[in-house]
Amino acid sequence: MSVTPLDSQLTTIAPLVASVRDLRVHFRSKAGIVHAVDGVDFDVRDGETLGLVGETGCGKSVTARSFLRLVPMPPGIPVSGSILFRPRHACPSCGGSGCSTCSFGGRVAEVCPACGGSGCEICEHTGAETLDLLKISERDLREIRGNRIAMIFQDPGKALNPALSIRSQVAEVFYAHRSEELLAEAGVDVSSASPLLTRRARQQSRTAENALLSLPPFRSHRNAITKAADARVAAALAETQIPNPLAVMDRYPHELSGGMKQRVMIAQALACDPDLLIADEPTTALDVTVQARIIELISELQDRHKTAVVYISHDLSLVRKVADRTAVMYAGRIVEVGDSDQIFHNPEHPYTQGLLAAIPGTHQERGKLAAIEGTVPELIDPEPACRFAGRCPHHAEACWASEPQLLPVGERKVACFIHHPPESGVGPTIEKTA
Amino acid sequence: MVTQADQRTVMAVRDLKKHFPIKEGALQRVAGHVRAVDGVSFDLQRGETLGLVGESGCGKTTLGRVLAGLEPATSGGVFFDISAPQRSELDSALIGGDNASDFDNGHRVDRLAGEEWRRYRRNTQMVFQDSFSSLNPRHLVSDIVGRPLKVHKEASGSTLIERTVELLEQVGLGRQHLYRYPHQFSGGQRQRISIARALALDPELVILDEPTSALDVSVQAQILNLLHELQQQRSLTFLFITHDLSVVRHMADRIAVMYLGRIVEEASTNDLFAGPKHPYTDALLRANPDLTDDDEGFRGLEGTVPDPARPPQGCRFHTRCVYATTDCGWEIDDVVLQLEDTPALFDRLADVERRSAFDADLRFDDESSAAGLASALQADDVPGPMKAALDQVSVHGQTVSIRFREVPEVQLTQRGPDRQAACVLDGLPE
Repeated sequence: MSVTPLDSQLTTIAPLVASVRDLRVHFRSKAGIVHAVDGVDFDVRDGETLGLVGETGCGKSVTARSFLRLVPMPPGIPVSGSILFRPRHACPSCGGSGCSTCSFGGRVAEVCPACGGSGCEICEHTGAETLDLLKISERDLREIRGNRIAMIFQDPGKALNPALSIRSQVAEVFYAHRSEELLAEAGVDVSSASPLLTRRARQQSRTAENALLSLPPFRSHRNAITKAADARVAAALAETQIPNPLAVMDRYPHELSGGMKQRVMIAQALACDPDLLIADEPTTALDVTVQARIIELISELQDRHKTAVVYISHDLSLVRKVADRTAVMYAGRIVEVGDSDQIFHNPEHPYTQGLLAAIPGTHQERGKLAAIEGTVPELIDPEPACRFAGRCPHHAEACWASEPQLLPVGERKVACFIHHPPESGVGPTIEKTA
Repeated sequence: MVTQADQRTVMAVRDLKKHFPIKEGALQRVAGHVRAVDGVSFDLQRGETLGLVGESGCGKTTLGRVLAGLEPATSGGVFFDISAPQRSELDSALIGGDNASDFDNGHRVDRLAGEEWRRYRRNTQMVFQDSFSSLNPRHLVSDIVGRPLKVHKEASGSTLIERTVELLEQVGLGRQHLYRYPHQFSGGQRQRISIARALALDPELVILDEPTSALDVSVQAQILNLLHELQQQRSLTFLFITHDLSVVRHMADRIAVMYLGRIVEEASTNDLFAGPKHPYTDALLRANPDLTDDDEGFRGLEGTVPDPARPPQGCRFHTRCVYATTDCGWEIDDVVLQLEDTPALFDRLADVERRSAFDADLRFDDESSAAGLASALQADDVPGPMKAALDQVSVHGQTVSIRFREVPEVQLTQRGPDRQAACVLDGLPE
């Protein structure tokens, strides 16, 4: 794997928290193999918000779920690619407030165990510990899920368990990932703690153990552990500006409004201060007024925790407000990725141009919206051609013969033959407007 | 050129209410009513598009369904196809003290029968939001689109098929789609089928209930273009119900903003977007992410929509309004709403005796709790206007008597030509 000059330049700007390399996830169906995600490449930098936009069925959710291996297999088939994740921890010299060592990000990466920081193949010459989320063991992945990488789902009504109180759902995160700290907060010496208590702090006690725990020598410690977890839950809920967290803790999801449920989800996701937050259409089920509040909240918390966010949405106007950089997906591939301002002011790929023109605004005459004609192509065993060629106003012979690759154009990357002449055949041309 | 006199109003709605009973217990006793639509009036002129916007649960879909004749109204009148003189007669009768529920000039849709009723039904069609559930999965497209023609005995046999094909072609589909089932189509195509069905009988008025909110933006643009084209060809009247302000700004000539069952502002699209006169409209505009605007002022709205079974007094929006004044209808319920997050304040509350929505006695189990509430009402986190609206707070032992200034329900008032808003303020502060 060679490093292009552009890439190395970017890594000095902000270190990469995660990189998706040539991700391909297919699905088996009666009609054939559906190429839902077919060669997706992008990077997520520390502390930034990356918007991932595209229409229904373009593979954005599958890409997001692949980070935590949440795509059901089968019917899913992991074909190839890797998702590289570089865990980070608070900078030791400033404690997270930002200093020159951590280039004011507040976090530094773990040192790569294979090369000791000098740079090797495994860490892509970054010197940082690099995990391939698609290859590590399920046990290691459990350590990362909800702890280093967290996810917010689209419909908070479905993502929360209706049978558990808010308290137990949020506390689960702490029991799973912060059991030692819970023990310490409960006044138990972690190194010499009874296995009964350590298992309790991991929420792994069996019925018989629970009976033992309710007896005098352990009872006070057990109660202290529960109290420590409750305090953390209340603090997490309070951080998402839920009024009266102590009362909300004992409620069940159906007793809360949609906006409130989404706040609980955010509290759960940010509970362990993750390096990367994946938000999969977090506001689609909400009203605009609530949506605006939730977005303000996410960006506020992001500023405080310095978390990188992958924000997935079909709503371009929203992504423009939220994201620092934007990746546009179409039919399982990324067609354009770059700085949000650049993409929204001067889209390079015909699909991005089409999408932006299709949004109703004041500048278009009624009935003259520039709709993209046609529909998204079937993703069953696609031909090696540009996926957008069938709907593209500029398509030419070469677009049907081979797939354009995602290559740099200025500061961003575009997958279109207009910007990168094809190796053979006649490429499309476009009248460049200044 | 049509003159003012012979301009017909496709639909005139006067003080329309739709309440749904809340039933409780084994005997299904009616415990109250959800006031989904609570006193709505407007006119729909031929050929115009009226946008109806609001948050979920504000009653916009219910209003659409009542107008389409799918739900009976609880009270008030819906008048179909009336001339300008008839409309002024109606309005003068209502101003003269007549109840909208009693006025009948032969155009009230709930009193129509026979041929007149059929004329109303065929001229008022609806396109629903979810094309999955609004198209019968076991019927072929030819049945779905041809059914209205058959029911109204417009066509049969081969003419029915030809008319159906014609309709499909108008919405961008074709003969090859006749014998397919709804599941074989994409979301955009299914919405086209719904539109073809609605247009089959050449209606005057089409009620579009969130026709594009389930669609992607590129397909949405196709459908919006199609709707506009059809409106031009057939001089249709649209009632466009949506929560998407960008869409309604693009499509509508006039916009009515609904909140909790009532219209809070009605204005032409340009006027409304240029400067909202109601704080709720302002909040909606600020929360709407827009490609063209700057990020300045993008902000959400605190709180949740109140319970429509017990809408707030005065202005229904005062519980969430940032511009609220003392005259906005502060009431006993607001005491609980504002202070419920204060720990242990209401733990010892024993009984509430209401004399009206503005006046009540709260009895506690001990005197300190009563005194605690009285002092909490004067704390800094209680909104200033609410404190100012308090006429009386007195503690007698375990009882706190609270009385607020009584305020009538805030009504829509004229704000210039063709513009109404229901707010106590003349204009919003900058």
